[in-house]
Amino acid sequence: MNAVIAASGLGKQYRHTWALRDCTLAIPEGHVVGLVGPNGAGKTTLLCLATGMLAPTRGTITVLGERPAAGPAQLARVGFVAQDTAVYARLTVADHLRLGAWLNPGWDDDLARQRIGQLALDPKQRAGSLSGGQRAQLALTMAMAKRPELLILDEPVASLDPLARREFLQGLMETVAEQRLSVVLSSHLVADLERVCDYVVVLVASRVRVAGEVSDLLASHHRLSGPRRDPGSLPAGQEVITESHTDKQTSLLVRTDGPVLDPAWAVKPVSLEDLVLAYMSRAGDDAPARRQHLGVAS
Amino acid sequence: MIRFGMLQFRIQTITAAVTLAAFAVLLAATGPHLASAYAADGLDICHGSGCLSPATYFTASLARSPYAVVFLLSTGIILLAPAVIGLFWGAPLIARELETGTAALAWNQSVTRTRWLAVKLAIGGLTAMAVTETLSLMQTWWAVPISQAVADGSGAGVAQSRFSQLNFATHGITPLGYAAFAFALGVTAGALIRRTVPAMAVTLAIFAALQVAMPLWVRPNLAPPDRTVIPVTSLGGAGPSQTGPGGDTFSLYALTIPGQPGAWILSSGPVNAAGRRVSTTPAACTSVGTGPGGGPQGNAFLPGQGPAAFVGCLASHGIREAITYQPASRYWRFQATETAIYLALALALAGYCFRRLRRLS
Repeated sequence: MNAVIAASGLGKQYRHTWALRDCTLAIPEGHVVGLVGPNGAGKTTLLCLATGMLAPTRGTITVLGERPAAGPAQLARVGFVAQDTAVYARLTVADHLRLGAWLNPGWDDDLARQRIGQLALDPKQRAGSLSGGQRAQLALTMAMAKRPELLILDEPVASLDPLARREFLQGLMETVAEQRLSVVLSSHLVADLERVCDYVVVLVASRVRVAGEVSDLLASHHRLSGPRRDPGSLPAGQEVITESHTDKQTSLLVRTDGPVLDPAWAVKPVSLEDLVLAYMSRAGDDAPARRQHLGVAS
Repeated sequence: MIRFGMLQFRIQTITAAVTLAAFAVLLAATGPHLASAYAADGLDICHGSGCLSPATYFTASLARSPYAVVFLLSTGIILLAPAVIGLFWGAPLIARELETGTAALAWNQSVTRTRWLAVKLAIGGLTAMAVTETLSLMQTWWAVPISQAVADGSGAGVAQSRFSQLNFATHGITPLGYAAFAFALGVTAGALIRRTVPAMAVTLAIFAALQVAMPLWVRPNLAPPDRTVIPVTSLGGAGPSQTGPGGDTFSLYALTIPGQPGAWILSSGPVNAAGRRVSTTPAACTSVGTGPGGGPQGNAFLPGQGPAAFVGCLASHGIREAITYQPASRYWRFQATETAIYLALALALAGYCFRRLRRLS
């Protein structure tokens, strides 16, 4: 497995606060990777470090085996659409395609024109007068037409309405299918990721809580419900992710590679959203205070 | 990247072209009239010391003519051009990209930030220098009759000598240095403050402060000044003024130095035979030339006697005028030194921007 993004002990400090601290992860190539986590988990910081927009305070990060933004060749291999999908308001759509062609040796003008045509964008229109969805599409077109090996998208659909969001993700999927590129996409909207991602990384407070292919994760996680009992009595190999109890009932979300054989449990599959939320609300090793709090809440 | 730089610089290029065109029209429309007025006074065919009187008359009459307005207006434009460039071209260069978020777009094409900045600085900086220097050259051409008359005459009124603050900063090669520096200053302020409008304010404040500090404290010391002591009777220009009760103190300034036309006088004042500064009127001179009652304030001289008698009295009591000055021959050396200082500052700021840009997002 080659990592498109590999971080080790990565940290970024702003004056007094750490936006990302001691983050170690490896994202494999050939996937559409969803990077999920609550607000403030460090997703944007991580992606900005991966594109070289930020320099790390501590630790190292490599992207496609090189330091981010190390040189023109490295820059050409990575496409980035930032959170606000900013484009030059005074330049027209056609100007953007021209500058893309000037600045990227691998520029695919046919792809760019084809996408602009599909989106029914007027090339003569100024980018400043585009709608939010159109702007995001233009930014995505620019990132795609440079023919990167890795496409990094930071919350690209966060500000779009549901229809524009669906169109954006569809366009993304079509290109991914044609171009065989790796994608890392951050979002806190799990439902969006469910549609497009085949690999998911859950990041909470700079730490990877769970990472893996979506199909594997769904196959190895189950929701168990049955008469109230102590989760400590589960067989080895069944890891409890979340638990909740009423007077008579116990409901667990467990991870196990084998089948659940105990007939006392009603076993149900979990959705990706349930799974992600379970890991996001699960207390981490580095947050004892939070564990206590969550224990009371659940 | 160069084409991209040019594309983004489109509006600035148009603004610069329109400004240059308007400036050229203004000067081309009035220049020939100024030249013919100069010729009408017979100055185009006169040379040397014989021109003193008509040249002085010409410069004095200019102050009341529309040419004075054109002269001051065009001088003002040349003085302001670097500041405007620093504010509107320099400050937004990085700050605007950060503010609007387009930095993420610009710095994620297959071009390193270093190259991006190098091209942007080159296009903006060279255009800034070219525009400012072109304005300066156009005005220098327009003002040839005035400069000639100032050189030939006693040099007063609206048109000052080449070393005067207005002329030194708008003619020669100094506009090149100011333009490059102001542009680099704007870019640096934008990179540090990351917001366009505050960066513009800081750019203006620093540039203005430097443009005041330079002629006041730095330029006079670019070379050790020459000193001379001359007879008070050989001073041209304004006469002495007497102040204090009974005219017991006086002052006397030199505006020109005989044999040193166009020299930049840094300081001047009367000294006694021992070389000490004096301001007390010798007792024998207090009533010489003064009006009835001693003339308590200013130039109050008896009719028919005038300041010449007073100056003659001062001279007979051993009072001479001590002057520190920079000779006119140092003009280009001063121009080159000051321009080099500003260009060096601009390069240092640009170098800092390259370092700073690596850590920006």
